Amino acid sequence: MTRTPSVLIIGAGFAGLGTAIRLLQSGIDDIVILERADRVGGTWRDNTYPGAACDIPSVLYSYSFAPKPDWSRAYSRGGEIQAYVEHLVERYRLTEYIRFGVNVTGLSFDEHTATWTADTAGGETFTGRTVVMAAGPLANASWPDIRGLDSYTGHKIHSARWDHDYDMTGKRVAVIGTGASAVQIIPELVKTAAKVKVFQRTPGWVLPRPDFRHPGWAKELFRRVPATESLARQAWFWGHEAAALGMVWDTPATTAIQLIAKANMRRQIRDPWTRRQLTPDFRAGCKRMLMTSDYYPALQKPNCKLITWPIATISPRGIRTADGIEHEVDCIVFATGFDVCKTGTPFPIAGRDGRKLDDEWASGAYAYKSVSVSGYPNLFLTFGPNSGPGHNSALLYMESQIDYIVKAVRLISSRGIRIFDVRKDRQDRYNAEMQRRLAATTWNSGCSSWYLTADGHNTTMFPGFATQFTRQLARVNLDDYQPVGAG
Amino acid sequence: MAFEYSDMLTTIKDKQWALADIDWDAPGAETLTAEQRPRLKAFMSDLVWIENVGARGFAALAKKAPTEDLKQIYQYFHAEEQRHANAELALMRRWGMIEGDEMPMPNNNIRLVIEWLDRYSDGMPLSTLGTVIPALETALDGALVKFLLDEVTDPVCQEVFRHINSDESRHLAVGFQVLDMLGAGPMRKILIEGAGTVMRPSVMLGLLVYSPLLTRMITNISAMGLSEDKLHIAIRRFDKAGERSRNTRRLPVFHVVKFHAGLAINHRQPFQFVAEQMGTVIDHLPMGLLGKVPSWSNELTHEPVSR
Repeated sequence: MTRTPSVLIIGAGFAGLGTAIRLLQSGIDDIVILERADRVGGTWRDNTYPGAACDIPSVLYSYSFAPKPDWSRAYSRGGEIQAYVEHLVERYRLTEYIRFGVNVTGLSFDEHTATWTADTAGGETFTGRTVVMAAGPLANASWPDIRGLDSYTGHKIHSARWDHDYDMTGKRVAVIGTGASAVQIIPELVKTAAKVKVFQRTPGWVLPRPDFRHPGWAKELFRRVPATESLARQAWFWGHEAAALGMVWDTPATTAIQLIAKANMRRQIRDPWTRRQLTPDFRAGCKRMLMTSDYYPALQKPNCKLITWPIATISPRGIRTADGIEHEVDCIVFATGFDVCKTGTPFPIAGRDGRKLDDEWASGAYAYKSVSVSGYPNLFLTFGPNSGPGHNSALLYMESQIDYIVKAVRLISSRGIRIFDVRKDRQDRYNAEMQRRLAATTWNSGCSSWYLTADGHNTTMFPGFATQFTRQLARVNLDDYQPVGAG
Repeated sequence: MAFEYSDMLTTIKDKQWALADIDWDAPGAETLTAEQRPRLKAFMSDLVWIENVGARGFAALAKKAPTEDLKQIYQYFHAEEQRHANAELALMRRWGMIEGDEMPMPNNNIRLVIEWLDRYSDGMPLSTLGTVIPALETALDGALVKFLLDEVTDPVCQEVFRHINSDESRHLAVGFQVLDMLGAGPMRKILIEGAGTVMRPSVMLGLLVYSPLLTRMITNISAMGLSEDKLHIAIRRFDKAGERSRNTRRLPVFHVVKFHAGLAINHRQPFQFVAEQMGTVIDHLPMGLLGKVPSWSNELTHEPVSR
């Protein structure tokens, strides 16, 4: 046992570091950040595949309290975003708060001492009066459930754990998956690999990404007059907010988005059958929209082939599709996404009276305003249940959660509250309302996606505008909680 | 026991096979007689293309499937029909009927069917293709392919068609289950949909290209020595399997397809003459006017491994 800080933060990605910065700015410096890797960055540290970039403009995909005037492009590459995260650590002197190489394996709450204890893989334990879960929804790579996966004798690479030592030059490469990572990887692979075969199960809606270099004068202007960057951020923000009308709710605007996507496809893909193969049969927004201008041209390169036959099995030499053909390849890239915890927790979390969050979330995660869970006092979630945006920057949502958590921690500290547990009736009412509102969204319009549990329960997305999400978290209402030991 | 599409999907995944599973150089190719070769080449060429257009039919059905499981099943069937065409191509190559990357040419009639499927199949209701495909499969599976197995003793051919027949049995099981499902709706809806289907110009056009093709296939196979009785038995299978279900019997499309199949195998009625004449007209149509073949019909390969 080392010490009992006020706040134990699990994860040193965007959310964990952002929480630490805001806590420090509010005068709470008794914090410890536990990070399983040896570097900060989370998703952006892990996703270093060729072409990795954000599909939200950088001035919006950054914290409002830590603007960066010199983003090189409208949509930054992963390396630049990772550098921004590392810059945050430097600028706010966070290194002293981070314990690297500490992999949390379990959390448990002791009502008697009103503290949380984190068990770690190394055997060390850490305690905290409050805990902020910032492990991130996209932290664990997901390998697909395909027959014969282990029998393959060639090279296997997961997009979220890219092997930079493997040279793709002249190689025959298969890419499994056509989601957000794949559409960024494929245009890069076709530049070097001898042959790229893209195995698609379900096509996604593709919109062009209006990427451009930030001109020098703009960067200078942002630096000299920060209000101009703020203005640019507002412009991007409201543009994205407007997109919610078609991307969040299933409306005629959704049809308009589909028409734009189809026109874009028609402009870029010549062959009608290929267009048919690439046209989704679900409503735009139901699965994550793909923002790319390079993917369709890459698919039509002479060394690239789109394969839509179902994969029958992976064989020692390659991939066998249901049309009876074996595709012999040197390397398989699995762009198959992440293991998102929708019906459990990344590690066991035991709350009051030994209750297990894993059990309670077995049929779908829920929380109050995505941040607190009844029965798990003094525990706060970032990117908790139903806090995902379908149309705007995740960092806006994260920032709202962080500011809410900081307010709650200050309240706990200033009022001497020992146990700060959200009321179950409030939580139930909130979630009933969430599910009612989700029914009209594109995500619940009939497709299967990583947003939904196996039985179609949406535990990930927030059914509304970013403005609404921010507003609901603007203040901590003590009536929503049952504080014990209030001074 | 009730039919579960999810169980069927699992079975389909379990039963996958690949061209690479078959030893295409195994002895037995020489058992083909010089007399069989030319007629068999013509028959196999048509068969390859019929599998290919069948595949496209399943692709259209996948778009219409009311459930995710059925959609996935149709996606597999689409690929499996393509696999059959690929395997049949590989057999043709084994028998020296095609050289290198040569592809058998689709006859004019098949070329028109390809064009029709490319233009109209995605817009067809589930009941239309969902009825025609099982009828064709019953005929192919029950008569043509079995006849081929009787005639050709090459063990590789036997192995290939054992696999194909096994796949087709699942295609038929699902096909008849879907017909049963479609026939379970309110009669008013079934009649309105049925009438709407018949009145579609695309359906009429489809009949104009499908009828002579079926007649042509039957004539060709009869010329090879298949008795009319065997054809009757095959078509009766479609009839019987459909009639077993009270729901399927309520589908007007089922009765139309059944009636048409009955006509097609009966040489002694006026329809036969009309269909044959239509076939002759089709043979003389300038196919160049249709332009390029759709790219989905260029995907066939006899190579078990793509490197």
